[in-house]
Amino acid sequence: ANTDVLVGVKAELDAPESSQPNRGRLEFFVDCTANADPEFEGRGGEDLALGISSALSQAFSSSNCLDLCSLCVLPGQQVWLLYVDVLILECGGSLLDAVSLAVKAALMNTKIPAVTVNTTEEGSSEIEVSDDPYDVNNLEVSKVPCIVTLTRVGHQFVVDATKEEQACSIGHLSVAVTESGSLTAVRKTGSGSLHPESILDILQTAQEIGINLNQQLVEKVKLESSVKKDRRGFLT
Amino acid sequence: MAGLELLSDQGFRLDGRRPHELRKIECRMGVFAQADGSAYIEQGNTKVLAAVYGPHEMRGSKSRGLHHKVLINCQYSMATFSTGERKRRPRGDRKSQEMTLHLKQTFEAAIMTQLYPRSQIDIFVEVLQADGGNYSTCVNAATLALVDAGIPLKDYVCACTTGFVNDTPMVDISFVEESLGGPQLTVAVLPKSEQIVLLEMASRLHVDYLNKVLKTAVKGCKDVYVILDEVVRNHVAQIASSVGSE
Amino acid sequence: MPLDGKRICGPEGTKSPLLFIPKKQTNLLDDNRKRTDGRHAEDLRPLFLRLGINSQARGSAYIEMNRTKVVATVYGPREIQRRREFDMKGQLLCEFKFAPFSCKVRRQYQPDNEEKALSSVLRETLEPVVCLHKFPKSRVDIFVLVLENDGSALAAAITCAGAALVDAGIDMYDVVIGCGLRQDEATTLVDPVYEEEYRPEDNHQSGEHGNMVLGFMPLLQQVAALQCDGELQPKTVSAALGMLMESCYGIYSIVQECLTESLKNKLKKREKDVTKVIS
Repeated sequence: ANTDVLVGVKAELDAPESSQPNRGRLEFFVDCTANADPEFEGRGGEDLALGISSALSQAFSSSNCLDLCSLCVLPGQQVWLLYVDVLILECGGSLLDAVSLAVKAALMNTKIPAVTVNTTEEGSSEIEVSDDPYDVNNLEVSKVPCIVTLTRVGHQFVVDATKEEQACSIGHLSVAVTESGSLTAVRKTGSGSLHPESILDILQTAQEIGINLNQQLVEKVKLESSVKKDRRGFLT
Repeated sequence: MAGLELLSDQGFRLDGRRPHELRKIECRMGVFAQADGSAYIEQGNTKVLAAVYGPHEMRGSKSRGLHHKVLINCQYSMATFSTGERKRRPRGDRKSQEMTLHLKQTFEAAIMTQLYPRSQIDIFVEVLQADGGNYSTCVNAATLALVDAGIPLKDYVCACTTGFVNDTPMVDISFVEESLGGPQLTVAVLPKSEQIVLLEMASRLHVDYLNKVLKTAVKGCKDVYVILDEVVRNHVAQIASSVGSE
Repeated sequence: MPLDGKRICGPEGTKSPLLFIPKKQTNLLDDNRKRTDGRHAEDLRPLFLRLGINSQARGSAYIEMNRTKVVATVYGPREIQRRREFDMKGQLLCEFKFAPFSCKVRRQYQPDNEEKALSSVLRETLEPVVCLHKFPKSRVDIFVLVLENDGSALAAAITCAGAALVDAGIDMYDVVIGCGLRQDEATTLVDPVYEEEYRPEDNHQSGEHGNMVLGFMPLLQQVAALQCDGELQPKTVSAALGMLMESCYGIYSIVQECLTESLKNKLKKREKDVTKVIS
């Protein structure tokens, strides 16, 4: 089966967190729709959704991943709050990897309107958001990681596991890798354990794959945005 | 209405349509491999995905099953990024629950429910982008998904939301036209027999106009039907040709 | 944010006084290469572990590493009532909770997303450790409560939960030991305290930095949990992993001592009970 993921990013102006007055905010929300699996109906997909959003927050926890300081409008008062909403439409294995790719692609495509801050005569500040659709800023995404999950099948490790492979395996190691090859998160999931030596191998492999994956994704997104197609998305 | 004129003197609407014109409808059937039936539809800027699972054994408690007909289980949910202002929850709010109920009632009337006693059919619709006429678009999408799943229907179910401005009914109204608060009539019909399976009206409309608006709405539904039917025929032809070529 | 009706909230726009504490830019290591609490980089904090502190639970343990204090209790195995959850393997239910007073900022009673995520990490750590096939169709409940969080809370929770499982007499392949680590450029600090753990509000860091937590089974040499964040190179991770494993062996010798001690006490107590009954 395929894995289908749709990600939308919405930017809103909001107050910053009081502990970090000059940084924008990033929030992940994952919704496992019933389209993917009837078991997800109602609140059935919440556990999976929570797992994915916490893995994403972990991968983005380093302050270098996304320059949140550039999302500050008025320190202590108004910052951009980026909602990254992930919609899981079909899951056929390697869900976390697909989600991270989609999140990165969506962030590349995100345009934040230009904002000017005017100081009025009374000394208070007024924020003016440009309504020109071309007067926008793009996000710097070169350090946004992609997640590579290696799944243990027997004594071997496979990447991009299918649903069946995942069902047969009990040990997974998810590694978030940036374009430069830094690891921003590592987490073991599943009910199995791993040998320390195999972990070292996995980290090396994951780094190689991750660098490659990042490059390919960037190329693909650039190609996609340069070609004008009359039919897009689900209609193709 | 101050500021915005929904219908110009020349008889054009805000997006350039004439009152009786639908928005552009594009759709595709069989989007997902996993579901038994699925469809994607775009009605202007309103985009909806529908997936159908079933008929299958009762999920959860068996006691919910009905002994004389199939149980239809619907879920209406909206992507958190589908609306202008971000939605906090994709489902579970009052509006979504109401929509879920309406969908269930609509399709209970259209599906040949007596064929599958003690079983269940799931219809899940997901609004990806909301630009007015959400319910109608969902019904149209779900119809295509049900056809894709091969579930026997009495007829297609086509739905259309109609507004009323300056004594003129306007079919398939968009979000802007919806939000300015005029009367709205949503109708879902079985186009061949012209039976109404759901009729809902909001706001105030003089009884003398009701017939006129209803007629326009039903006409809109029939226009939708023509498009859906063509899509289904093309889809089936495509499958048939790909099967034949093997 | 759920409104807390039990306490008087300040007026709107009130800020926590903690924000106005000037941030001291202290180095992690001083001139003598000692940490803020006087330890060397690879030193562990003194560890106190006691089993069977809760008489109601089947098994329990309390761990103290200076100011990080964690209690774990184990109930079960008990039968699973609902048919839908039927499984020939046993199941674990883990709950990781920060006590409301455990952190600098007050925690809510309802589990928040961080606690839920940590709960599932803890479950995935203990699943490979417990012989799940020994109790089919049943479930073991493990509750972990952090009484005070002064860094390495997850690591302490792993060790503590493992010890509580031993105390409960649940069949296990090995004990499990947790240990945390903080990497800051070339400096590696084992068993970090709260101030040393990486915070995102730290300003931009150019070099490598990050936190790691390892859950390790010392006899089988298997990694039951590995959590890492920050920005690290694979080489650094592997070096740190080696260091963590070494520390785990260090903790293991202490834990082992505690376990035998508690077993001896249990046997002694039973002997006493038996003689009491006879007399």
